[in-house]
Amino acid sequence: MYTKNYYTDLFKVTETQLQELTGTALAQGGDYCDLYFEHTTFFNLLLKDSIVSSGGFHTDFGVGIRVLKGEKTGYAYSENTEMKDMLGAAKAASAIATGSATACRQYHPVENRSHDLYPMKENWREKGANAFLPFLTDLEKAILAKDNRIVKVIIRLSDSVSDVLMYNSLGELTFDTRPMGSVSVTTVFQQDGKTENKSVSRSFRIGAEFIGPALLNEIAEEAVKGIDQRFEAIRPKGGQMSVVMGAGASGILLHEAMGHAFEADFNRKGQSIFSDKLGQRVCPAGVNVVDDGTVAYNRGSGNYDDEGVPAEKTYMVKDGILCSYLHDRISASWYGVNPTGNGRRENFRYNPIPRMRATYMESGNADPEGMIASVRNGIYVDEFSNGQVKIGEGDFTFFVKSGFLIENGRLTAPVKDINIIGNGPQALADILAVGNDLKIDNGTWTCGKEQSVPVSCGMPTVLISSLTVGGE
Amino acid sequence: MITSHEISLAQHCIRHAVSSGASAARVSLNKTVTDSYTILNGELDKVSHSADRSIYIYLFVEGRYGTFSTNRLEQNEVEDFIIKAIEMVRMLGEDNCRRLPDPERTAKDALTGRELGLFDDRYFSLDSEERLASAMKLSKYAGIRQREEGFRLISEECEYSCTADDNYVADSNGFEGRHSETTFGTFSEMTIEDPEGCKYSGYWWQTCQKYDGTDYGIGEKALQRAVSQIGPKKRRSGVYRMVVDSTVSSRLTSPLFTALNASSIQQKMSFLEGSIGQQVFPAGMTLMDLARTPGKNGSRLFDTEGTATKDAPIIENGIVRQYFVNTYHSEKMGIPATVEDISRPCLMPFIKGRDLQDGEKEVSLEDILKLAQNGILVTGFNGGNCNPVTGDFSYGIEGFAFSKGKITHPVREMLITGNIMELWNDLLAAGTDARPSSRWQIPTLAFENIVFSA
Repeated sequence: MYTKNYYTDLFKVTETQLQELTGTALAQGGDYCDLYFEHTTFFNLLLKDSIVSSGGFHTDFGVGIRVLKGEKTGYAYSENTEMKDMLGAAKAASAIATGSATACRQYHPVENRSHDLYPMKENWREKGANAFLPFLTDLEKAILAKDNRIVKVIIRLSDSVSDVLMYNSLGELTFDTRPMGSVSVTTVFQQDGKTENKSVSRSFRIGAEFIGPALLNEIAEEAVKGIDQRFEAIRPKGGQMSVVMGAGASGILLHEAMGHAFEADFNRKGQSIFSDKLGQRVCPAGVNVVDDGTVAYNRGSGNYDDEGVPAEKTYMVKDGILCSYLHDRISASWYGVNPTGNGRRENFRYNPIPRMRATYMESGNADPEGMIASVRNGIYVDEFSNGQVKIGEGDFTFFVKSGFLIENGRLTAPVKDINIIGNGPQALADILAVGNDLKIDNGTWTCGKEQSVPVSCGMPTVLISSLTVGGE
Repeated sequence: MITSHEISLAQHCIRHAVSSGASAARVSLNKTVTDSYTILNGELDKVSHSADRSIYIYLFVEGRYGTFSTNRLEQNEVEDFIIKAIEMVRMLGEDNCRRLPDPERTAKDALTGRELGLFDDRYFSLDSEERLASAMKLSKYAGIRQREEGFRLISEECEYSCTADDNYVADSNGFEGRHSETTFGTFSEMTIEDPEGCKYSGYWWQTCQKYDGTDYGIGEKALQRAVSQIGPKKRRSGVYRMVVDSTVSSRLTSPLFTALNASSIQQKMSFLEGSIGQQVFPAGMTLMDLARTPGKNGSRLFDTEGTATKDAPIIENGIVRQYFVNTYHSEKMGIPATVEDISRPCLMPFIKGRDLQDGEKEVSLEDILKLAQNGILVTGFNGGNCNPVTGDFSYGIEGFAFSKGKITHPVREMLITGNIMELWNDLLAAGTDARPSSRWQIPTLAFENIVFSA
């Protein structure tokens, strides 16, 4: 963990300059302002056709300056930390207010952070490409050895490290260094003239110790898992049916069906289907849904959010009752509550807005096999790609890459490539059982609400009485 | 925008890379300035100013290749950056297919960046007050609140943005190209509530390269789209004709362009492998890449490698005429290089079983609804995906049922499922109503035999 001086030296700013910048930003009467300094290094390698034949690194550096006047936002940034350029950005952001200057509070750095969620044992920046080349080639070999139908393996390894310094007109100075390591693999198989593909990924806020034999074996195993079923898979007859959502990646249901609709900016503006549902029952009793920024090494976690608010575990639904939206500082102030640490941004070029982190449902008591056994005609789904939601209407979808038909309580024919659609409040009300097997999915989930931010999701096995399933 | 000093820096990067051990190099220098104003319920909600500057460096070193970028453009920093980048490329695997495009194929006519007429100098004369005034003109909030009938306006969000982009590309074979454009964008989203308390949202947008082309009436269109969704009815699962409105029809062409890319084909991730020269689409269906049309969104004189674009058929009378093949995949696959990807796709008008002559009358959404008679008009997609290997797709949709060529009622929470090649072979009609401001000129489409689930 670095000290304050590491960050102030990196960005070449002093306490006096930070105060001058916030003073300039509030010179026209804003209520609050914050500065977000960021230096990020990205690194990537790509293996195709058995050669690590491309790679690179990328550097991004700058400071974003935000001024709030009530719920209104002024935002500008500079790609360097020369004082004259930062002052120019501060003046541009100050344009949201038109009045006389607002005083800033005294400088007080937060030296002891409340979390240390992703300590790096090995810093990615201190490793060269050579350190990872054997991993890529060994992983390819391990995958190829598992199935002679494989015709192509594409492996991407990427990492990033972001140094972030945040200062605001409340005088709070916070800082963080955020690593991220990701490996994703696409494998292409051919059998009897048919081609199928399978993708697998792992991503964590972790140092370079992430790359090793355990990860290699885990990914190689999953890269070929279920491919027989994929060649046999059918499209089910479409329509409304019971859906058993397998533990893990099924958390995409929570992300789309409720998570976005619980983000407080949509609710503050009255746009969400859940805008007037705070304190009301939205799920059956016993269901708890969490958005958590404190899961160690998780892709969605942060010691602080991007407004300098310490990470927390936020219950959105407790015992079936909607108990909190996901807040940034703007919506928290509007609702008169504390921010929940959900103010996030893609990088210094963007102002923070309420975003999810790791969104999951806590385990219930039901036996997953019993849930399947209880379904006469339905579908079991366990692998997904993308999803989407319409905030006002509450209609959400997610794309199923693999699953099985359920006939008379048994998994039968494999299915693939179908979309499922439902309505958020209805789907939540239709939860019949929650399994005892919560699993967080650690794939490369990225949420694209206005800006791209890393997230993750998880769920125990859940039975929903009715969703609309695409089919033939 | 890009200054002569910055161009000198880009050229210096190439020289520095070559003198430091690279066998070849390309740089791409990008500058973008955007100002945007968001209006919420008739009041200014957000103002933002952004100015980006970055350099991408593509290095070819002893048969190896890497891509690098930075936004720290001090000369000494960039020089150190390039040295480290070359060190990294040396560690990678050798692949002799990596090389710059043949100088014969690079563009020679993109010297000023202004050749296509996509840059409006009016951009520089706009001050913040004029931009704010333009944003405020978008808001229809007060007027709509006074005439709410059958709905209540929950919120109106409008955004006005103006952007200037400047891109300079050069390589160690002597290529230099520049592309500059301005974009004036407007967006409006209305959220309404019906008397039963159900919410609906509608949005509309416009982008254009000229300041004078800005459409301030988009709010009414957004409201109309929201109101039209009130009172959706369930529709049974079944096989229907499907009309896809020109605002969203490009969603169905996107998988074709991915499948026609040599990168997908070489990795066996394409359902169009082996289709070049084959009639795999319906006779009469023609899709052009009209990359060099002056003044049109999406036009460009060179691709990311510097290769000169061409106006060319991609699919002609149902026959696949072109894959998108960059220099690397040309070498890798032993096929001629074309361009890296599509620039400005234009689907020509089409009516199944009828020869459309050049200049024949316009074919509108109304014409296509009449032609299709009964079915479902899709005005929005909600999620879904298309398998790049098989072409199997499944998408959520919203829109309207229509009968005897007339819209009857809104529908939602429906899905379409099928195979993208089978879908295109069931093409019934393509209109002439692609949105003028869109980069992809894909008009209203009609298809037969579409499986809907509800």
